Amino acid sequence: MTALVLRLRSVTKTYGARTAVDRLSLDVAARESIAVVGPSGCGKTTLLRLIAGLERPDSGEVWLEARQVEGNGRHRVPTYERRIGFVFQDLALWPHLTVRDNLAFVVASATTEKRERAARIDEALKICRIDPHLAKRHPYELSGGEQQRVALARALVGSPRILLLDEPFASLDSELRATLREEFASLQRQLGLTTIYVTHDLADANALASRTVVMRDGRIETIRSS
Amino acid sequence: MWGWRSGRTIVVGAAVAALALFCIVPLAYLIVVWVIAPAGQASAYGALLLDSRQRGLLLNTALLGVGTAIMSTLVGVPMGVALARMALPFKAGLRILLAAPALLPSYIVGLAWLYLGDASWMDSLPAAVIVLTVVLYPISMLMTEAAVRGVEPRLEEAASLTAAPGRVLWRITLPLALPSILAAALVIFVLAVSDFGVPALLRVRVFTTEIFTAFAALYDSARATALAMPLLLLTLCIAFVSVRLTGHGLVVTWRGLVGGELQTFDRWRPAFAGVAVALVLSTLALPVFVLAREARHVNSWTNVMTGSGEAIRSSLMLASGGATVVCALALGLGYARAKATRAGGVAADVLFVVLFAVPATIVGVALIGLWNRAGVAGAIYATSGMFLLVYLAKLMPLAATALAASLRSVPASHEEAAAVSGAGWVRTMTRIVLPQVRLGLLAVWIIVFTLAFGELGASVLVSPPGESTLPIRIYTLIANAPPSQVAALALLQVAVIFGPLAIGGFALTMRRRS
Repeated sequence: MTALVLRLRSVTKTYGARTAVDRLSLDVAARESIAVVGPSGCGKTTLLRLIAGLERPDSGEVWLEARQVEGNGRHRVPTYERRIGFVFQDLALWPHLTVRDNLAFVVASATTEKRERAARIDEALKICRIDPHLAKRHPYELSGGEQQRVALARALVGSPRILLLDEPFASLDSELRATLREEFASLQRQLGLTTIYVTHDLADANALASRTVVMRDGRIETIRSS
Repeated sequence: MWGWRSGRTIVVGAAVAALALFCIVPLAYLIVVWVIAPAGQASAYGALLLDSRQRGLLLNTALLGVGTAIMSTLVGVPMGVALARMALPFKAGLRILLAAPALLPSYIVGLAWLYLGDASWMDSLPAAVIVLTVVLYPISMLMTEAAVRGVEPRLEEAASLTAAPGRVLWRITLPLALPSILAAALVIFVLAVSDFGVPALLRVRVFTTEIFTAFAALYDSARATALAMPLLLLTLCIAFVSVRLTGHGLVVTWRGLVGGELQTFDRWRPAFAGVAVALVLSTLALPVFVLAREARHVNSWTNVMTGSGEAIRSSLMLASGGATVVCALALGLGYARAKATRAGGVAADVLFVVLFAVPATIVGVALIGLWNRAGVAGAIYATSGMFLLVYLAKLMPLAATALAASLRSVPASHEEAAAVSGAGWVRTMTRIVLPQVRLGLLAVWIIVFTLAFGELGASVLVSPPGESTLPIRIYTLIANAPPSQVAALALLQVAVIFGPLAIGGFALTMRRRS
């Protein structure tokens, strides 16, 4: 039996009168790849933010592996102790840091050994196919595709137990989007990543996910296996 | 349209002419007088700038500026971050209370400080730094808040996935807000070295007090002009650098102060709420309490009011009239700034901030030099119209900067829609644009009124015989009247300052509720 990496139990999140996530439960196994699809405002992004600890659920439980990180409306484990990789829709690359420093910021939290830090950064740059000479540049000096790769490398360099992606290819043209999607799918297989991928594009969902979760009004409507 | 006879050209042209006449020409005059001074006088100027007394002045002035800038930054930056990123209780009201000391004239806080105790160090350079920090830290706080709100919250959230809140703040938030934090420190430096009231009250010898002594006590205008030059150049250079650092983030409108709280810093919320309350108590409630405690010894409030009634009436009339004229002209300037190209806008921002940064005593010296002559100028020089000239010279650039920020928030399409509907520019402004910025206009009027009502540094120099304002009355009574009487007048001044502020705050709250 495959171990569970993530368990959500009846998680609810409201903003004023609007319920963004409504008593949602979901299990995600190790190395599993989940796509979350649904119309705008159905709670996809909120779901990722609840898992990462960027939002607090009003009720319900969130478990990462055997550890309860949220429960009974209390914030149990802070975000930075959850070991989660997150690729934001707008990428959120730190503009004042170079590509290498963007990655170093993450690694510094995981290890204090300088040589190991450098090795992990080089490895992340390599697997995300980032030209080493780009490492000294700032994010604003990169093309859209290069920025996308850096965001992925930054999410991976901390060896996350789960990788969350919030429509990371949404702003790209269709050709680049297809290229990066294929690259990411190959990376996913190669590294055996556990991923949750929010998208409104069914082509993305079919190419990347072993299960597709369809959300509507904060609830899971159906779960399909690919 | 910008045709010669269009309402827009006339209004903007008049405003630009007023800026040139009231703000730029007096300073240009001062510089020209200094440059073309007779040879003997020029060498005296050189000696004046180099002797040991001047070096001491320079050191004191620099220490006052640097000390105040550092202290204000240390207090203001954490509070700015807290206001931007933490869900503090009653945040809107707390922000107003934390910012309120900036509207108190510095000498009022200085007076309260002196009444606090009689230790020997209480009238010293470090004491002046503390008093000016009370008045100026809100600048650092508000500019930091604006800068941090300008940082995309996603950047801090991305960092919070792997780093503790302290590291997120240190490595992501503060570096991204650094230009504005530095700019705020520079603005505070300029305002501290430009201040006259506090050094005069606490007997700290700096350039502003020395200029005042040269002019008002020694009647040596050449010496005053020479003393003004290093201070003028220093403030102009630093103001220029600071506005270049902040760019378009110079002024934040109320619309820019909504949302942006992050759960990342949530655990610090109780501590910062406590610090905020302590700051309000120590920088706002304590000075008012000390003044009230001193004023309770007054034998007759009626006597106080009767003795200073003329000064109070005159101050209220001049400040309200001055604020109205300043805002009317600044509206034209702000409109021109709002519609300027990017390069033109930056140039206008630099000009406005540089002009506002000119120390009040230098404005006073420049206005006297320009207007103290025979003819029409002399006729104005002998009247309280000189106070209006001070307000125009000091406050019009500030009002123009703030109004430009408000006017920029009105989409250009609104004006265009009115224009294609057949409305002329004046009608478009009065019916479409101004109603949308009326709250901003009210806020600017209140700020200008408050600053004009508390103005001392230039007013005390240009004050014609027989004419006085409340600040001048307080300043002159300090040496000649019982402390209780001075405290009573200071308390009255505080009440007048916070009255319109409370009305403005109430109007704002009602608007937000609706």
